Amino acid sequence: MDIGRRNNVTLTGDPDGPAVILAHGFGCDQNMWRLTVPALAEDHRVVLFDYVGAGRSDLSAFDPRRYATLDGYARDVVEICEELDLRDAVFVGHSVSSMIGVLAAAAAPERIGALVMVAPSPRYIDDDGYRGGFSRADIDELLASLDANYLGWSAAMAPVIMGNEDRPELGRELTDSFCATDPEMARIFAAATFLSDSRADLPGVTVPTLILDCTQDVIAPREVGAYVHREIPGSRLITLDATGHCPHLSAPEATNAAVTEFLAGLR
Amino acid sequence: MTCPFGPEPDPRHGGGGTAADTAFAVLLEDSAEELYEHAPCGYLSTLMDGTIAKINTTLLNWLGLAREDVVGRLRFDDLLTVGGRLYHETHFAPLLRMRGEVSGVALEIRRADGDRIPVLVSSTVKTGSTGEPLLIRTTVFDARERRAYEQELLRARKAAEEAARRAEADRARLQDALSVLQQSLLPASLPSIPGVETAVHYHTASPDRLGGDFYDVFPIGGDRYAFFLGDVCGKGPQAAAVTSLIRYTLRTAALHDPDPVAALTTLNAALFERYTDGDPRYCTLVFGILEPDPDDGRLTVRLASGGHPPALVLRGGSPRGGSLRGGSLRGGCPRDGSPRGGADFLHTPGGMLAGIVPEPVFTTATTTLEPGDCLLLYTDGLTEARTSKDRTALYGDDALRAFAAGQAGRSAAELIRALSALLDEFGEGLDDDTALLAIGVPARPSPAPSPAPATTNR
Amino acid sequence: MSTLDITVRDAATGPVLEISGELDFASAPRLRDLLATLELRAGQRLVLDLAGLAFCDSSGITALIAARNRAHAERAGIALAAVPAPTLRILAVIGLDQVIPVYPDSGAATAAVLTGPDGP
Repeated sequence: MDIGRRNNVTLTGDPDGPAVILAHGFGCDQNMWRLTVPALAEDHRVVLFDYVGAGRSDLSAFDPRRYATLDGYARDVVEICEELDLRDAVFVGHSVSSMIGVLAAAAAPERIGALVMVAPSPRYIDDDGYRGGFSRADIDELLASLDANYLGWSAAMAPVIMGNEDRPELGRELTDSFCATDPEMARIFAAATFLSDSRADLPGVTVPTLILDCTQDVIAPREVGAYVHREIPGSRLITLDATGHCPHLSAPEATNAAVTEFLAGLR
Repeated sequence: MTCPFGPEPDPRHGGGGTAADTAFAVLLEDSAEELYEHAPCGYLSTLMDGTIAKINTTLLNWLGLAREDVVGRLRFDDLLTVGGRLYHETHFAPLLRMRGEVSGVALEIRRADGDRIPVLVSSTVKTGSTGEPLLIRTTVFDARERRAYEQELLRARKAAEEAARRAEADRARLQDALSVLQQSLLPASLPSIPGVETAVHYHTASPDRLGGDFYDVFPIGGDRYAFFLGDVCGKGPQAAAVTSLIRYTLRTAALHDPDPVAALTTLNAALFERYTDGDPRYCTLVFGILEPDPDDGRLTVRLASGGHPPALVLRGGSPRGGSLRGGSLRGGCPRDGSPRGGADFLHTPGGMLAGIVPEPVFTTATTTLEPGDCLLLYTDGLTEARTSKDRTALYGDDALRAFAAGQAGRSAAELIRALSALLDEFGEGLDDDTALLAIGVPARPSPAPSPAPATTNR
Repeated sequence: MSTLDITVRDAATGPVLEISGELDFASAPRLRDLLATLELRAGQRLVLDLAGLAFCDSSGITALIAARNRAHAERAGIALAAVPAPTLRILAVIGLDQVIPVYPDSGAATAAVLTGPDGP
């Protein structure tokens, strides 16, 4: 199995530079990092990929049992690191990918040397003394609506040819479809994400960690960012002046600045 | 009032004068605002962070909210259900950022009273003169009808998928059961008999691979073997069911008393008793005993026929004498002095089918096979095969004999291979079950150049 | 496509079935259905006139046997008339000609004085 093809691995930037892995979360695919890549490419070897079931990964490799839990996705990360023989790479994970990074780093500590968490959440459902932001009923409703919204979903996820003339910042490479995903696989990823609980894995993080959260994020509210910061020893928290769950898109300059500064500090 | 000729007069300039003018002017001036506020769809404009800057009356009415509670106070997210919010944050908003527009996304908006309305949402980003995104313009369409339709489609689709899954499971189970049954109806393999070679070909007309033809070869002690081959009336599963009774009755009968007539008589009784008048089942068959002589390599065959087409005896060697001994055929079977190097029927006239009358007549015959000779048993699927499009031309006994004569001297396996190829050539003309069983005595290798069996494989 | 035509007429000896066309796996059930409901009395003779029979396979033979069984069940007799040569040959091979009497035509089959149920 060719891992590069399976996960649609894209390599860019300086091939001799320190490696940075950009991992998308639930929703869309590696194209979400369009505005981040230019900031890193000059000094780093940038690794982009799609989890199996997302983007242009090899959908035939999708195993509903493996990808029903975050460990399955963490294995994708480890396998990519082994394929590229990455060592001490910086893993930048958006949303649930932050937690996937924690699992991957625990499984293969020599491969991942630092973590950047963009709008992370270890658990989305409220618990005793913990505010995740959603009730169990909310998540059930989401999963049900993914089912019901199958047709609407696929219309939205239909491949689109991107015109580049009026979007110069997005680069010429983006000529293909993006954000296309199989609704069934997306549902499984959604269940794996929103029903997960990675809180217990946080205290075991031993690598330098940067946490970025947003001032207004319904999916990962401020309390969650604060929680993650408390639980990971030695971590750093920066709250970006951004609304929504994707600061790397809605506030790219601030996001890039925080990340590059952190990366510089590692060297 | 003037009525000018020509095209329809413009009402604005027609009669009525200034009053109509004003009325229309007022309508037209208000129309843009009216069109916006009371459009059949909802309109919404938000800042890039989602804060609602403008909203039309239609949408406010759908939401059951007052304008002052919305503009500047709520974000677009707040109008959605939780699922919608998640979807919006993880897919809608990023897509909008990257593409500048998103259209036809199904979401649900929440009314003030808690009800939900399924909607279709389209948004575009308005950019400033420098390409900087300024605000988002969103249109909201009532999708209740469409949603109901989609759900119906989904339900129907799921039902169809489930039905297909069940059908496939049923099919697989049936296939497994059939497989087991098929194996039980035929011998797994023929026994290895010292000094004797056997070969068989079995073809069923039914797609279930269940047929009414049957055969077997088995030891009965004292270095002797019994064999039989026959044909139950009809074809398919019903005929196959009868073959089971026949095979096991014959095997048991032969172990008890191997005399061919005795075995057939027992079978007749079993079938006659088993199948009532209303649904008669009969079979035709040949039953025989093989007695190899270890000293001279010959094989004595004693058989009885129950209304079955006569067996063929193929004599190896050439008419010039070749490597085989002449003469001395045992038994009183008619036409036993058949010339060497040919094929002849081993006639058993007067034999009757089994299972129909209480005391049928079975006719016996005996022959001895020398090295190079072969006995061929077959069912009428072979001789009744159609050689023309209609049913007027059938392959027939004479053609079979001539074909077999051309194969004389060959091994049992070669004979069966040649006949299989012949059956293939019939194509669709072969529409009945067919069984072929060849029992032969291998030719002795000869130092002299004798006509060895041709070995071209077809 | 098998075409089978059956005409029933009455003779002094009993019903005569004029069977023409093809009697095979597909069409034989029709003959059997008809035989099952046919009116037949003890002492009569059921005659099957096969002058128009174009084809007969083992299912057809089974139908003839069923006819025989039905006749015997009613304590009536049975005979075949005008059997075409290919079918006659099959009857000889399987020995059914020793079980059901065969006449050259239906006239002969219905003219024969009944001395009792036929066949061994």
